[in-house]
Amino acid sequence: MTEGPGIGAGDGDSAARLERVVTATRAARPYYVLVGNEEKIFKAAFRQGLSVVLKGPTGCGKTRFLEAMAHDLGRPLITVACHDDLTTADLVGRFLLRGGETEWVDGPLTRAVREGAICYLDEVVEARQDTTVVLHPLADHRRQLPIERLGLTLDAAPGFCLVVSYNPGYQSILKDLKDSTRQRMVAIEFGFPARDVEVKIVAHEAGVDEAQAAELVRLGQAIRRLETAGLREVASTRVLIAAGRLIAEGLEAREAARAAIAGPLTDDSTVTRGLVEMIDLYLADQTA
Amino acid sequence: MRSAEGNSDSLGRLGLLASALACRALKVAPADPGELAWTDGRVVFVDANIGTREQVEAVAVQASLLAAGSLETDVVRRLTRRPALARRYLAVEGHRALAAIEDLLPPSVRPLIDSDVAARADSPVASLAAALSREPIADPPDSFGAIRTRHLLASIKRAASSAMTHQHVRREQRNQVVAELSGDEDEDGTAADLFSSPVGSGGALGRLLAQLLGVVRQLNGGGPPGVDAPTHWTGAEARGRGSTVFSIGVTGTMEQAAIEGQGTKYPEWDVHRRRYRRDWCTVQEVEPRPKDDTPLLMSHRHGLRRPLARLGMGLERFRRRVQGDEIDIDAVIEARVEAMAGSAPHEAIYVESLRRRRDLAVLLLLDTSGSAAESAATGQTVHEQQRAAAAALTVALHEIGDRVALYAYHSRGRSAVHLVPVKRFDDDLDTLVMRRLHGLVPSAYSRLGAAIRHGAAVLEKRGATSRRLLVVLSDGLAYDHGYEPVYGAADARRALAEARRRGTACLCLSIAASTDVETLRRVFGSAAYATIPRTEQLSQVIGPLFRSALRSAEVRRRVS
Repeated sequence: MTEGPGIGAGDGDSAARLERVVTATRAARPYYVLVGNEEKIFKAAFRQGLSVVLKGPTGCGKTRFLEAMAHDLGRPLITVACHDDLTTADLVGRFLLRGGETEWVDGPLTRAVREGAICYLDEVVEARQDTTVVLHPLADHRRQLPIERLGLTLDAAPGFCLVVSYNPGYQSILKDLKDSTRQRMVAIEFGFPARDVEVKIVAHEAGVDEAQAAELVRLGQAIRRLETAGLREVASTRVLIAAGRLIAEGLEAREAARAAIAGPLTDDSTVTRGLVEMIDLYLADQTA
Repeated sequence: MRSAEGNSDSLGRLGLLASALACRALKVAPADPGELAWTDGRVVFVDANIGTREQVEAVAVQASLLAAGSLETDVVRRLTRRPALARRYLAVEGHRALAAIEDLLPPSVRPLIDSDVAARADSPVASLAAALSREPIADPPDSFGAIRTRHLLASIKRAASSAMTHQHVRREQRNQVVAELSGDEDEDGTAADLFSSPVGSGGALGRLLAQLLGVVRQLNGGGPPGVDAPTHWTGAEARGRGSTVFSIGVTGTMEQAAIEGQGTKYPEWDVHRRRYRRDWCTVQEVEPRPKDDTPLLMSHRHGLRRPLARLGMGLERFRRRVQGDEIDIDAVIEARVEAMAGSAPHEAIYVESLRRRRDLAVLLLLDTSGSAAESAATGQTVHEQQRAAAAALTVALHEIGDRVALYAYHSRGRSAVHLVPVKRFDDDLDTLVMRRLHGLVPSAYSRLGAAIRHGAAVLEKRGATSRRLLVVLSDGLAYDHGYEPVYGAADARRALAEARRRGTACLCLSIAASTDVETLRRVFGSAAYATIPRTEQLSQVIGPLFRSALRSAEVRRRVS
């Protein structure tokens, strides 16, 4: 058995399944409307080599923000969607058997460290805690990735930046980020954008006119107030855009909202009825 | 009749709209016909017979008032017994409240706002000042409804007096408050409210009647309370005596149909004769009656998920797997050797680490006998506290991914032990479950032993997991016709022992009940049990309790 370090960017099946590489040479900047000082903080953290945690509810634009930032900074973006069976080997790399030989295949994190890419761990709390520990030496001043199985320690290439996203409301009772992990990061908080901004975003992304977008946003904002009243998940900008896109496709507004907003939010028939009632009240009936 | 039902159903659907606008959990219920819409801060009452558009407007106005802080105590208190002032205040404040959340209102409601009026005030106090001034103010439109100061104050007071955990107000309670305040003279007479439901469980009169007519358990009353107490025993039991094993037969005799249909017979332990009475109790599963005006949203979890989630989780490494994170060196070497020797090597050469999935089914037994209706020190009844605990446990366990069922029990003699399946194992946890739970009314007695036997049997049959936990939520009083405390305690203890013998963990929780520890020990025996003064304290003890109950069952299962 030979152990060959640095075989290069492997194209192992499991690695390809997990990640998505957005190349820096992408033509247009991904559409992102600035809400606060998030860009300033992120770029400062990037220049200083600090790790960043993006906090915020699902579908409020965390991933899109990062795509825009990667574009601005000219770095490739490697995204890993974390799930609860994600192991250290999935991130760092593993030996595979090829014929009679073992072959080392880099994981997405190792690749980002070698290439100096932005490595984005989406929903990092979903990953097991023993997995997130591997991030520690990378996230602090050392900026190193020890690879036990190869017996080496990689220094992060310039331009490497570790970004994790974290949804504080979601499943945080069961899973929470370790304090030791949290304190190695700079936090940028995201919320849903203000009304005018959100109308602009929905109109642009879905390709509907501003009046239609405004109706959807009004509905979305009303539903969001239910969070204090106990609804577990509220309508994100993403579901509003999804509803808008269905409308742009020619669907009737109420029909689109039922499919894109009420359906995904809840399975409970009583709550669904209440949501449908709200949809009917907030969206104009175009068939009449 | 049907149209009225349809109307009230559509009213209920407006609950989400109301909650969204008011930024708090709010329900919508039908008001008396012809009545203007009003709210007590938890429920918006709207005439079910007016048009949908008017209903939406009325709900929007009342919810906006709540959202804008227009109905806070200090303002409302100054409006009491001044109906004319209250109307002038509503005329100004209603517009202000609507304008404050104009961006959130449905399009159909927005034309209601008179921005000139709304501009007259910028806070509830300013609106009150405007109402107190001599300026002419146009009467509010009918859709603005009315402000009922008395109901609002009563509701605020009640919310403040007991830091209650569940959000909705039961109809009975509301009426009760009305009755208590009947000295208060207000424009809309209390007499009408008092008699609105003279016989039902609501209303002071109704409660009085219920107390007079209802079966009330009295432990110290002496003598058998029931006429159908057994007066003679036939020789049938003697034949059954031969099989005094902790019977697997209990599960064996239970037919699938019997669970659903006419009832299942269970033995009972006669402590005086030291033998079982075979097929003594008949347990029937009774379909629950869901209650309509329960809030749509789930109950409070009391932080139970974290302690419960920690139970029985852990990673395990499995060798010689076809896939995995790492290579199993031993297996690889073997495979190489085999390959070189010319035979086909085995491909399972990885080490896989897997989370050992939770493998736990929990059945909650909720005591709904008459004694649970007693009020606890906290102001809520024992039943309300137990119900909150049952709901919290069910939701928490369900969300973690355990199989969970919730049954309520009470009995009227040995032939009528009723178990009410609030949530069966395969039922989805939805609002219907919560409505069923809130539809439970404590009554009659508790033949604890039979309930435990049936619960354990259902758990074993339907739980479909190797680890099982039976949780009894009870005040620990086992009492029924021919089931006096000493006898009952012995039978309950025996039933728990049978269940544990078969590897089912048992845990008995007594919440908010005044039962002393000695009684609990007598009834629950060596099973894990705990007395918890308030539902909120459940999260502190539940983890260790569950763990120790499960561990002892584990040991037993291994031994057997």
